[in-house]
Amino acid sequence: MPTLTFPLSRIEGHAQIIIKLTAGEVQHATLQATELRGFEYFLQGVPAEQLPIIVARICGVCSTAHHLAAIKALEAIYQVEPPPAAVYIRELLMLGQLIQNQATSLFLFTMPDFPGSEGLPSMFEFGGDDANIARRALEVRRVGTELIGLAGGQFIHPIRAVTGGVSSPLPEDGVRALRERIASVLPLACELFERYWELFQGLHDRIGTLGDDTPSHYLASVEEGHAYYGGNLRVLDPDGVEQASFAPHEYQRYLTEQPVENSYSNATLFNGHVMRANSLARLNLLPRLGTPIADIYMLRFQREWGHPAHAILLFDLARGIELVYCLEKALEMLEHIPDGEIKAPYTPRDGEGCGVVEAPRGPLIHHFNVVNGLVEKARFIIPTQHNILAIEQALMVAARRYVHGDRIDLELERAVGRVVRAFDPCISCATH
Amino acid sequence: MLDAQEWIGQRRLAYMPLVLTADEFPPVDTLLVSGAVRTDEDLYRLRAASKRAGELIAVGTCAISGGVANLGDRDEVRDLFFSAMERRHVPRLLPKLRPVDAIVRVDRYLPGCPPMPHLFMLALFGSPDTRLAASVCIDCGRKKTKERPTQLRGLQEGLPDPGICLINQGYLCIGASTRGGCQAPCTKAGNPCVGCRGPSDSFISRSSDEWFNAIRKVFLRMTDIPSEEIERELHAPHLSLFVFQFADYTVTTRRPEQVL
Repeated sequence: MPTLTFPLSRIEGHAQIIIKLTAGEVQHATLQATELRGFEYFLQGVPAEQLPIIVARICGVCSTAHHLAAIKALEAIYQVEPPPAAVYIRELLMLGQLIQNQATSLFLFTMPDFPGSEGLPSMFEFGGDDANIARRALEVRRVGTELIGLAGGQFIHPIRAVTGGVSSPLPEDGVRALRERIASVLPLACELFERYWELFQGLHDRIGTLGDDTPSHYLASVEEGHAYYGGNLRVLDPDGVEQASFAPHEYQRYLTEQPVENSYSNATLFNGHVMRANSLARLNLLPRLGTPIADIYMLRFQREWGHPAHAILLFDLARGIELVYCLEKALEMLEHIPDGEIKAPYTPRDGEGCGVVEAPRGPLIHHFNVVNGLVEKARFIIPTQHNILAIEQALMVAARRYVHGDRIDLELERAVGRVVRAFDPCISCATH
Repeated sequence: MLDAQEWIGQRRLAYMPLVLTADEFPPVDTLLVSGAVRTDEDLYRLRAASKRAGELIAVGTCAISGGVANLGDRDEVRDLFFSAMERRHVPRLLPKLRPVDAIVRVDRYLPGCPPMPHLFMLALFGSPDTRLAASVCIDCGRKKTKERPTQLRGLQEGLPDPGICLINQGYLCIGASTRGGCQAPCTKAGNPCVGCRGPSDSFISRSSDEWFNAIRKVFLRMTDIPSEEIERELHAPHLSLFVFQFADYTVTTRRPEQVL
């Protein structure tokens, strides 16, 4: 069976695409995750109180999400509620994570795919009027990093959030300085996003498709005005009707995890269905976001593509709307940092608990069993896993479009790269 | 790298799959390697890349010692792991996780988990005699008091006083002998130093036992916490990730002047 292998770049972590053909017909299209460290195994026997420090190391990019999901799972076990002022700081931390990630995915990963007939190898290659995109994109991204640094105490592997709350309040001068930074970067982000949208339209005109547009199930842990802190998990069915809403600890009744042949990543299903998570899932679950500029973009998006929207390249535009939303939301939240207790007392105890946050790629679930203060079992349901089967389905659609009985259109390689980047998978997390 | 923009226009990014699509590894002046060697493909790519590179800098704990995944080298976990993670047609897992310098020559080390952007810039553009703070303590700025705690507090237990040394408050903070230069973000936010930058110059070419002894002495001098308690806790997994990162002398000697 002829096999086409496409190594991937401009994604988080190591993966490749394998397409198998028989007599010019596409048989399989798979995403192979090719790295592994084995967190679920080596965490066995580790003292539970150290989890928030250790699991952040699952991923440098997503460390904030892992740090908080682990803390929330421990709080479920210890039966302690963090005070509102602490939750507020954690929400700012998640907004920082989202700003950083969405800026990276938009400008560093996907935007170079759009110009001309072949795209560019990286954002550093933009020329002409676009020559300063790299600098400006890193500037926007850096504000996300700075917000993580402010709210989390450290720009990667944050430490301010601790079981029961946070370890210290935010420094006032830092809050003031960051407010000014975000206010100055917001117009820059909008400008970049407008240009992004233009180039995106250019790509659409050139290739005549936005990829797999099969109506799908969507999974997200969001509600209007949210700050990615996570709560109940919600599922939208392919007709746009909310089909389920469940608490983190109930996830096993709805979500199943299965190994994927030839890959170090597992895949998740919702009641046996392929589903999608990440930016488009969130936008499909929310009629509006709740901040002024983001909602203007949201309206424009819905007018053009409908609600719910299904074509996979729209994940990219959805990410841009979220970037604007997170900047606006962070600015609004930094205006009114609440006073009050930042940490609740607790007594460590044994038990089982789950924690969920809405990470950039969707709901991240940490599930721990603690016996004698030590981790007996640690399970991580990673947002990228929710999308693995949807990615492979979209890869099939792309492969069938560009593989003809007697020839292969060279657009195929670019198309499969765009498909995967639309889902912004994080392979280090997916394999953990 | 992406959190520091100062390099743009000064150095050209030639290869970095994360942000740049390139078919093959080009010849480069400086090769920054992050991450440990876990699969046969990592091994192959590291060897191939190092042959085309001038200076090689190992960046971050995983590249320097293998990092967090070393927790998987415990026998009981390792067997389970290898039997469960058998997959076909993917890069094969090596029997043991290896640091970069177990495979190729490393010229310099940039430790830290995470390595800080300003240290990246220093590694690329700094003068060789730049002096960083000798230890995290010097960057920290918390005041030492006469308070002598009698027992250790849990890693995240209680709410630490913002101005007072964490050791005086009973936390197992190992900043006194951890390399400085990070500007102490953890202790400033009220979290004990876990030693992610590794031992300071005085301990870097000695055995990790000597580092442990030095930390024990700090606690003997400043607290009434039983020495055995400190001894036991120093072997906690979250510290051992970092404490041992320069300790594997069977492989190579890492000299203080190579470490930023």
